[in-house]
Amino acid sequence: MPSDLLSTVLLIAGGIFFLAGTLGLLRFPDVYTRLHALTKADNVGLGLVVAGLALQAESLATAGKLLLIWLLVLLAGASVAHLVAATARQRGIKLWKQ
Amino acid sequence: MIVCTVDRRQRLEFTPRESVFFHLRSGCLRAVLFALMWWILTDGAMDSWLVGTPVILFATVVSVVLLPPSSWSFLGVVQFVPFFLWRSLYGGVDVARRALHPRLPISPGLFDHRWRLPPGLPRVFMANIVSLLPGTLSAELGANCLQVHVLDERKNFLSELEKVEQRVAAMFDISLPPSRGGE
Repeated sequence: MPSDLLSTVLLIAGGIFFLAGTLGLLRFPDVYTRLHALTKADNVGLGLVVAGLALQAESLATAGKLLLIWLLVLLAGASVAHLVAATARQRGIKLWKQ
Repeated sequence: MIVCTVDRRQRLEFTPRESVFFHLRSGCLRAVLFALMWWILTDGAMDSWLVGTPVILFATVVSVVLLPPSSWSFLGVVQFVPFFLWRSLYGGVDVARRALHPRLPISPGLFDHRWRLPPGLPRVFMANIVSLLPGTLSAELGANCLQVHVLDERKNFLSELEKVEQRVAAMFDISLPPSRGGE
C-alpha cells in the first residue's frame, strides 16, 4: 500500500525531528538557544507525525482532529516559548556568547 | 511612488448600521468555524447537535465580545499558509542540523525589530510566528520594538522579519508605513 509506505516515511522523519530537538535541548548552551530547538524541531516533528497518522485515519473528522491538535500545539509552543524567553530576559539571564 | 499610506484599521470607524452589519458578518463566519470544529470533535454524530447548537451560539457570542472583529483578507490568509508551512519546515531542518552537528555551529545574538504593525492581535500573531520561523525567537514584546533572539547573528534577519511583517499585514488587511531602512 503506497499510503502505508508514505505514513512510515513521515512517522520516521517526525521521530528524527523529535530526536534532534531533544539533542538540541541537551547540547545547546542556554535557555534561549534551547527554546529554539524545542519550538522549531518539535513542531515540525509533530507536524510530520500528524501527517503520517492522518493518512491512516478512517474518517475526515479524525484527520481534522489531528490537524486541530497540531494547530493547538503550534499555538501553545510558540506562546510558551515567548513567555519563557521574556521571563528569562526580565530576570536578567544573560545569553550565551561564543 | 506611494508617499502616504493609510492605516486600514483607522478606517474601520463605521456608522452604527455598518458596524452592526460588520459584527453580524464576522459572527456568522465564526459560527461556521465553531460548527466545523464541533463536527470534527464529535465525528459528525447527528444527536450531538442538540448540545452542539447552543454551545456554538454561546461560543460565537463570547468570541465576538472578547475578540472584537477586525479586518482581514482572505487572499492574505491563503497566501500566508504555504509560506508559513514551508518556512517552518525549513526552521525545523535548520535547528535540527545545528543540534546534530558535531561542532554545534551557533552564534546567538539579540536585536530589535521596530514595529510597523499596529498594536493588538497583529503584533501578538507576528511574535508567535517569528518563534516558529528559522533561527528567530521573539524574546520581548515591547511597545515600539520586538526583541528577537537569533541563533546565528551572521545571517541577515532584518529583511526576513520585514517580509514576515508584510505578510502578516496582508493577512489583517493593513497597509504598513514605509520601512525606515537600515538601523
